[in-house]
Amino acid sequence: MSAVRPVPPITIEKPVAKVWTGARAIAEAVKLADVDVIAAYPIRPYTGIMNAIAAMIADGEFQAEIIVADSEHSQFEVVKHAAATGARVFVGSSGVGLMYAYEAMLVTGLGSVPVVGVVGTRALDDPGNFGMEWTDAFTTRYFGWLISWPRDVQEALDMVLVAYRVAEDHRVLQPHFVALDGAALTHVAMPVYPPTKKQVTEFLPPYRPPYRIDPMDGPVTKAQHIAPSLIGPEQRKRIDVAMLKAKEVIIEAWKDYARYVGREYPPFIETKWMDDAEIALLSMGAYMKDIELVVSKLREKGLKIGTVRLRYLRPFPAEELVKVLSGVKAVGVIEFGFSFGSPYRTGPLYHEVATALYEADERPKLLDFLFLGGREPKPEHFIKAAEMVNELAKGKTFEKKAYWLTLRGEDI
Amino acid sequence: MSSGPSLIRSVKEIPPIDYYTSGHRTCAGCGAALIYRLVTKAAGPNTILIGPTGCMYVANSHQFLTSPYAVPWYHTQLGAGGAAGIGIAAALRALMVKGKRKPEDINIIVFGGDGGFADIGFSGLSMALTYDYPRLLYLLYDNESYANTGIQASSTTPWGATTTFTPSGKVKRIGNERYKKNMALLAAAHPKIKYVATATIYPPLDLMNKVIKALNSGGPSFIHVLTPCPKGWFYAPHETYELARLAVETGMWVLWEYSEGKFKLNYKPRPRKHVKEYLRRQGRFAHLTDEEIDMIDKMVEEEWKYWLESDKLGKIILPW
Repeated sequence: MSAVRPVPPITIEKPVAKVWTGARAIAEAVKLADVDVIAAYPIRPYTGIMNAIAAMIADGEFQAEIIVADSEHSQFEVVKHAAATGARVFVGSSGVGLMYAYEAMLVTGLGSVPVVGVVGTRALDDPGNFGMEWTDAFTTRYFGWLISWPRDVQEALDMVLVAYRVAEDHRVLQPHFVALDGAALTHVAMPVYPPTKKQVTEFLPPYRPPYRIDPMDGPVTKAQHIAPSLIGPEQRKRIDVAMLKAKEVIIEAWKDYARYVGREYPPFIETKWMDDAEIALLSMGAYMKDIELVVSKLREKGLKIGTVRLRYLRPFPAEELVKVLSGVKAVGVIEFGFSFGSPYRTGPLYHEVATALYEADERPKLLDFLFLGGREPKPEHFIKAAEMVNELAKGKTFEKKAYWLTLRGEDI
Repeated sequence: MSSGPSLIRSVKEIPPIDYYTSGHRTCAGCGAALIYRLVTKAAGPNTILIGPTGCMYVANSHQFLTSPYAVPWYHTQLGAGGAAGIGIAAALRALMVKGKRKPEDINIIVFGGDGGFADIGFSGLSMALTYDYPRLLYLLYDNESYANTGIQASSTTPWGATTTFTPSGKVKRIGNERYKKNMALLAAAHPKIKYVATATIYPPLDLMNKVIKALNSGGPSFIHVLTPCPKGWFYAPHETYELARLAVETGMWVLWEYSEGKFKLNYKPRPRKHVKEYLRRQGRFAHLTDEEIDMIDKMVEEEWKYWLESDKLGKIILPW
């Protein structure tokens, strides 16, 4: 036996970076949240998340029932019923797959079942297209789901954990999905600092629905057919109020997340260079990184431009947006969704922003930049958008409200 | 000694407690309401009921916020019966295995109609039957049409029946020209399925005991229950039970079970009554000629050769 006893090493708790794709990071969040039931059905680009989860479960990294469903509709119905029975669940989809699940998503929202999932946004068929568009996620705005939109892999992981906390809060009890820009986020690897199991346990209490579909909770009858004259509007109002309350719960949750995990985010809107900005580019998601890069270069050239990034689409932070854009002369909305034949042939994010700004005392002028059909925008497109918004601020009149900058041929 | 579940041997042994009680407003003579009552009695209190959209959704809880269910009940979408049962079964297993809920035997019964299981929810039902969750029973109450929307044909509507989508007209006289889909045979096509059966409200103990066997079979199970419907079949409400009896005695509805890979007939009509005794009691077949009714009888006669052969072999032979 040696006379010298080994000295125990001094451990310094310091976060360790992992290099993960968005898909892998989400899978890690699901594991950290101790999810009980997962339902999977393949469609690119979200599939990688389920592949990662299935591998973890197969290797015994965590315990959960994973159901391989026969369709997205079944997939979303599986988790709806599992959550109503008292299980924490996870689900997801992309593109037309998500649209196949719309009925199930709708009843999850209107039935106030706090399912949490992800949407890996994808261009819609026809023709089939692996590119990125937002219309799959945007069309669910009416369904009573909370929708948040991360900028990078780290934020995607954090948002999933916060989504469980917000959705399961008894003031909310509504489903919640996190929209990851397809490919740009789901498949791009970045350094990530995952929170520890202990941090997550402190931040995220166990899921305790007020009543479950379980004989233990007595003979609960849920979602019986109703007479509109009796509780028609009142049932809808509950969801309206839940969305209102969600705003305070979201603020609390991100504050707590910073306290337990040590990473801070502004709850609803992230701005850069907006203190003295005269014009702004507004968007969401992964392309904000490129937009911010472009704007930082334009700033160096003396242009008083800033960026506005919405982190939540539902509930929509209207008052916060009015505040952020007060005094700004012109704003360019950068988006990837369509609503053909809509007012001024603009996109759905434009509609949201314009509605919010209608109540502002001084409304900035708006232009919409549509990036459709999955063709990737390049920095030069964002530079072009910034130049046009600058001209708009200086008084130039534009013939149209919406411009398709990646389009080849005439933008009629 | 057999370790099977204890069955109900006589009417006197039927549990007096009801879990499907007052508070519903189904039609007078509703066959499905009677099924609900018998099935929930057989299943007992530790049961979760799932109701895909259909008659038994709309009629059971409409208008006055009443509920006839003395056990948990949750609506699911018309095409989501299969997924709903799997979701609840998966949740219970996960919560019990992970120590988040007390381990316990809980029955899950999904009451789907023919629209819900044979048409729009067929894929989900099939998915569910490939899993291994115990005490998960898919019960098809088959009134042979979309009855609550006003009697439209489904894929289990029999040949020759008039429905509002397949009316008997001047040019197209027959009405429904498709043949009834055999859902129990389709269910039996899922390898390793523990229990599949057909039933109707006659005889009631046959239905109740099949429910008990299904729930105790150790895996997902399926029972196809023929459900007379006065509204859709056009007969007087007090004849519901009689119609179920005639369906069985004319051989138009075959009572069988398929347990752990073994096929067995539960009733052999001796002698089999002519199908006209069943069909002529229903207004939906009133336009059929005697020759057409005879043709149906011959078809049934032919099929029965195969049912009897299947019974002898203990294996399923397609009867056509």
